[in-house]
Amino acid sequence: MELMNEIKIKSKNLNVYYGEKQALFDVNLDLNEKEVTALIGPSGCGKSTFIRCINRMNDVIDICKVSGNIEIDGVEINDKNLDVVSLRERVGMVFQKPNPFPKSIYDNISYGPKIHGKGETKSELDEIVENSLKKAALWEEVKDRLDEPGTGLSGGQQQRLCIARAISVNPEVILMDEPCSALDPIATAKIEELIDELKKTYTIVIVTHSMAQAVRVSQKTGFFHLGKLIEVGKTEKIFKNPDNKMTQDYITGRFG
Amino acid sequence: MSNEHTVKSYEEELRYLIDSVIKMGSLTESQLVDSMDAIIKVDKDSIDKIIKSDDEINKFRSKIDTQIMTLLVKRAPMAIDLRETISSLKISQDLERIGDLSKSNAKKVKPLPLDLPEELLGNLKRLGELVIKQLNDVLDSYVNKNYDKAKEVWEKDEQVDDLTYIAMESVIDFLSKDKKNLDFSTHLIFATKNLERAGDHITNIAESICFLIKGEYLKGSRPKGKVIEK
Repeated sequence: MELMNEIKIKSKNLNVYYGEKQALFDVNLDLNEKEVTALIGPSGCGKSTFIRCINRMNDVIDICKVSGNIEIDGVEINDKNLDVVSLRERVGMVFQKPNPFPKSIYDNISYGPKIHGKGETKSELDEIVENSLKKAALWEEVKDRLDEPGTGLSGGQQQRLCIARAISVNPEVILMDEPCSALDPIATAKIEELIDELKKTYTIVIVTHSMAQAVRVSQKTGFFHLGKLIEVGKTEKIFKNPDNKMTQDYITGRFG
Repeated sequence: MSNEHTVKSYEEELRYLIDSVIKMGSLTESQLVDSMDAIIKVDKDSIDKIIKSDDEINKFRSKIDTQIMTLLVKRAPMAIDLRETISSLKISQDLERIGDLSKSNAKKVKPLPLDLPEELLGNLKRLGELVIKQLNDVLDSYVNKNYDKAKEVWEKDEQVDDLTYIAMESVIDFLSKDKKNLDFSTHLIFATKNLERAGDHITNIAESICFLIKGEYLKGSRPKGKVIEK
């Protein structure tokens, strides 16, 4: 049995409230470096809320209150003095629906590096754009039309563009919130293949409603229910022989 | 399975698969009982019926294969459902092999003389009874998802080995008394060996059931009785 990688992200007694409503209850979850962790569970169980804590996306919601800890490389990120912009440079995000900027393919990628002060010259930016698109397995398909609008690409290509955009600032962590739910099986397969490649460089957290996808792409799986982390473990174990009955009922389709 | 699937037809498909395995199991058991009866009573009239019943068992096997393929394709079963599906596949394979061994034993009745001495058949009869009991118990543990009972069957195969040894000894003793006994004694030796192999398939089934229930294989090697090879 191979050893698991070092812990990259650690949540300790994480609680999240939206006004009166508590969305997460004492979540303790370790995410390993350069591995894919899948979060599964019924809609509204808190898995998206959890990943939005990792890059403090919940900050933009006024009524949202977070308590407990999330550490990246042992450093608390809920600290008020922490620079959120540089946190989001380290923790990229890809959403359910591809959301390219209404700009050219080139500008979609170069925008991030520019605002984070990376790529001073045109040739540096060119290099970032090319490398990011290559890493996102999109370069060959778009290299001759970089000034065309990103929104003109197919759904699957748009999603890979969003992944290229996320990696253009050289993050350490990539959060993916159901990245394939709007894609056809071929586009999904390409993203999954890409995730496998990206995990060599990045720590990846993926929220998915597809059990089969969780099995295919992840090494670790966490099952959430009603804001609680019910079970977490090696993906194979979770899907072949979970310890918790609720996990089993969910993954086998017995959940009422 | 305490909770039912949200999708009723999935629940029915799994239930249907398990029922097929249970039915195949009881057919296999009757065939084994019949073939033992035929040997002990040297009843040559029943041979054809036993051979025919093997076709029925084989048909079940292909029916179960199809059901499993459909389940895998349609439902991509997970956790307990996955283990249920995989163990049905393995159990049906072992049942089919037990069926083949019973058929083979039925065929061995043909050359047997009608006046076989009782002490020669006594030990074979005891062995047959034990193997039938083992099959009955293992099927029972499958129906009731009883881990302890399946494990007990697995452990008890040691006794099958011991009785096989004893049954072999008595045939060999008989053979050594008069060389003209050679022809049918050989058949009896094969029949004995077939029962021992049926016992091994039964322990495989017990292992599959333990895996089905707990999600892990029985650890260590099964207790072994006397070795027959000499």
